[in-house]
Amino acid sequence: MRKFSLFLVLLLAIGGAALAQDAPSIAVMTPFLAQPGTQLMVEGFEAAAADKGWQVNVIDTSEDIAALVSRMEDVALQGVDAIVINVDPTQIEPGLQAAADAGIPVFGLDSGAHPLLATNVTSNGYTMAAETATYVVDRLNGAGNVVMFIFEPYPPVQKRGAIAQAIFDNTPDIHIMDAITPSFDNGPLEGARNAMEAVLLAHPEAGSISAVWAAWDDPALGALQAIEDAGRADEGIVIVGIDATNQARDAIARGSNFEATVAQDFSGMAARVADLVEARLGGMMSAQVNHYVPARLVTQADLVG
Amino acid sequence: MPQLPHMPAFLRRYGTLIGFLAIVLFFWTQRPQTFMTLPNWVNITRQMSILGVVAFTMTIVMVTGDFDLSVGAMASLVGIVAGSAFQSGAGVGEAVALALLVGLAGGALNGLLVAGVGISAFVATLGTLTVFRGLALYTSGGASIYGRVIPAEFSSFGRGAIQLGELRIPNLTLLAALVLALVFVILRFTIVGRRLYAIGGNREAARFGGIRIARLRMLSFVISGLGAAVAGLMLFSRLSTAHPTQGEGLMLQAIAAVFLGMTMNEEAQPNVLGTLVGVLILGVLANGLTQMQIDTYIQQILTGLIIILAVTLSSLSQRGLRAPEWLRRLLSERRTT
Repeated sequence: MRKFSLFLVLLLAIGGAALAQDAPSIAVMTPFLAQPGTQLMVEGFEAAAADKGWQVNVIDTSEDIAALVSRMEDVALQGVDAIVINVDPTQIEPGLQAAADAGIPVFGLDSGAHPLLATNVTSNGYTMAAETATYVVDRLNGAGNVVMFIFEPYPPVQKRGAIAQAIFDNTPDIHIMDAITPSFDNGPLEGARNAMEAVLLAHPEAGSISAVWAAWDDPALGALQAIEDAGRADEGIVIVGIDATNQARDAIARGSNFEATVAQDFSGMAARVADLVEARLGGMMSAQVNHYVPARLVTQADLVG
Repeated sequence: MPQLPHMPAFLRRYGTLIGFLAIVLFFWTQRPQTFMTLPNWVNITRQMSILGVVAFTMTIVMVTGDFDLSVGAMASLVGIVAGSAFQSGAGVGEAVALALLVGLAGGALNGLLVAGVGISAFVATLGTLTVFRGLALYTSGGASIYGRVIPAEFSSFGRGAIQLGELRIPNLTLLAALVLALVFVILRFTIVGRRLYAIGGNREAARFGGIRIARLRMLSFVISGLGAAVAGLMLFSRLSTAHPTQGEGLMLQAIAAVFLGMTMNEEAQPNVLGTLVGVLILGVLANGLTQMQIDTYIQQILTGLIIILAVTLSSLSQRGLRAPEWLRRLLSERRTT
């Protein structure tokens, strides 16, 4: 009977963690909670939900999309009042369908538009990429060699790369040396760092690399580490990222090669989603497919003083 | 030498099953409205069907004492191969055939490396895991394949079901049940199955007994590769999306399920019905803990602890629960004073 009782003890021990069922119950679901931007959004949503007296269940499946679909089916059967997702909705259609069949509205938090979503709140990826790409073009006076860090599998990030590439291609003397998708095996920071080390080794001449454009901050930070460790920080390589994570802000504030990033208003997006969920629970529907929350360029001047 | 009494035989054999029923009972009492309902159990079987196919065929490899670490990467690769075939204008039959062929070839490569060249299964399949992952990423350019290129009849299979009166049995559940039945028959009722167990029991004795070990080990890897391919197609069909890494979570869970199943056998041998219970334990834990709104990271910790607990207790019961050396010494000192 030892196995039997130990199983029960373990499970009873966590039984107390189940929360009261009275308040509206909202499931927040993502496979990307380890990403700083996602964390900020989820924390922002939890704060907004606490103000509204909701019960929030955060579910992270550690980059496993199939598991996320399964957990969506579970919460649909459980009968939560609403689901908020941070994932490409085209990849989780069975989960969206399960929620739709159960009459549960699903809201995108920086995910993407989809017919089965009530609505999606995001930053305008095209605008953000344009901000950082034109920053690079301006800093290089329209001439130089750029290394890009992109990520095609996730549409909101893929968009950024496409726009930056269009801007660089439209500038005759800007040459894209490489467009690298960093390996995620040990996290994108390590993957980008390794890739940048290889690029630096392949181009040892000072001044051969003018800038690094990254579709989000982690690869920009990885590239910065590689450049500093290679002793090439004084070559004037300009690095830009997107998302304005705390680590990126620190790197920009200390005057490193990392010069600019774009601050998405994650808390603002989370608060907007919470308001839209509240409106929907109150019976109001939104016909708007995407709600855009403005983002802004962050440079050293914004962080120091 | 003080020795605690052996567990009763039925507890040793059915302890894990009793533990599973205890978990079910617990979730039933905690979520009486939603857990023990037909739709939820249909939901659990559909969710676990893909892992089931990988774990059932992995059981055959583990019967011979080997591992196949490449199954998750193979499942991902097969999805990308089928998706690329759809992009090139192939029909469902052609894409599925090509995908299964890739699974078969990958399994044969594993078998060749392990049984032919003599590399350890761990190293060989770790290598092919990386190769398969790289092929999937290279073929897809790192991007997902989804949208209108995927024929509707392919996607509808993964989301479809057969209506039996009130009951809707998902196609994926039926397919997993078919694979389960096939593996059960192979292992239980065929000469090949008995020889596979003989190889796993004592390879040297099997060799002296005239069993063609290399050929059978090769066969076990081919079956595992095919199982991973079927699972990859099921995953692709269910999600209507092929992502170059989407099957990678399957490998560790499949091995965990086989280990859990081994605790249901007095000789601690892999057995496919035990693997089924292992798969169900993992599925019910994920489903029940989600319904109870337990933090997902705590879910992972609990699942890991339960696997360790079940295997440890089973291992102890195999050896007999012996008091540790320091305790035995202490007891004998007390007796002499």
